[in-house]
Amino acid sequence: MSEQERPDFEALVDEHQSMVFSLALRMTADRGLAEEIAQDVFLELDRCLGQLESAEHVLYWLRRVTMSRSTDALRRRKTRRFDQWVEMEDAHGALEAEPASPLGVRMEALLATLPEAQREALILRYQEDLSPEEIAQTLAAPVATVKSHLQRGLKMLRAKAASSLGEFIRKKGPVPISNGAGWEGAGGES
Amino acid sequence: MSLEPMDRMDEFEQQLRTALVRQAAPEGLKQRILEARARRRASVGSPQSVWMRMAAGLLLAAVVGGGVLWKRHQEEQRGEAAREQVITALRVTNRALDNVEIKLAAHDTRDGEQEQRRTR
Repeated sequence: MSEQERPDFEALVDEHQSMVFSLALRMTADRGLAEEIAQDVFLELDRCLGQLESAEHVLYWLRRVTMSRSTDALRRRKTRRFDQWVEMEDAHGALEAEPASPLGVRMEALLATLPEAQREALILRYQEDLSPEEIAQTLAAPVATVKSHLQRGLKMLRAKAASSLGEFIRKKGPVPISNGAGWEGAGGES
Repeated sequence: MSLEPMDRMDEFEQQLRTALVRQAAPEGLKQRILEARARRRASVGSPQSVWMRMAAGLLLAAVVGGGVLWKRHQEEQRGEAAREQVITALRVTNRALDNVEIKLAAHDTRDGEQEQRRTR
């Protein structure tokens, strides 16, 4: 990008901070860590901005670096093996900040229990609406591998939702974001 | 699972997509990013810090270089002293051998004279 075409850094932060933070939050399930990652990613963007050629390149770069930083952070932290729901809701209050539906909150918590590779593929697919090819490009992985991660991840998530959220739905009553079929119905076909 | 375009997703996938809608960034995140960027630029980019880094680099190079030269000089001196010692030792040995040779020659001469006297 030439000097004139280069977008203002502040405008880029404004435009992409929600995406970067959400990707990091869903990868790490830790609000504080996600903020740190977002900050690091934007500082890195500031250093590399001259090498990025277009707005699409910036977006691609941000997604790729955010996922990679999140993965690194998770490895450093050596993901603890206790209940992610408790971790997300009590320790960091990650989901209290947004008035998400209770089902949405639990869905995110279930997502956090998936293996890292499946989780990142699903997040890029369903948060960022990327195709398997675009995800493969972002993660520098073969398309077949990405498709496999997506299929396995979704299958596992359906199974977990059918058992965990089914219980939740029975306790809480009708599902607020579903059209009435409920999780068990949706989870049946995989 | 369907890896279909978004409009052909099944209900579960649509619900997942709804659950994974982007969250708003925490309040003040942008401000913190801009402050961190300003701090980094101030510490990395100020001419003062550049000069200080260069000075520190030069000082370090001088110290390391001086140390290396001093060590080399010390080693040379030690080598020279060792060479001198070896030469001195060789001289002493040489002199001792000369003495022994002279004594042996004198002894041989004496023996020869005695033998001649006896034969006469």
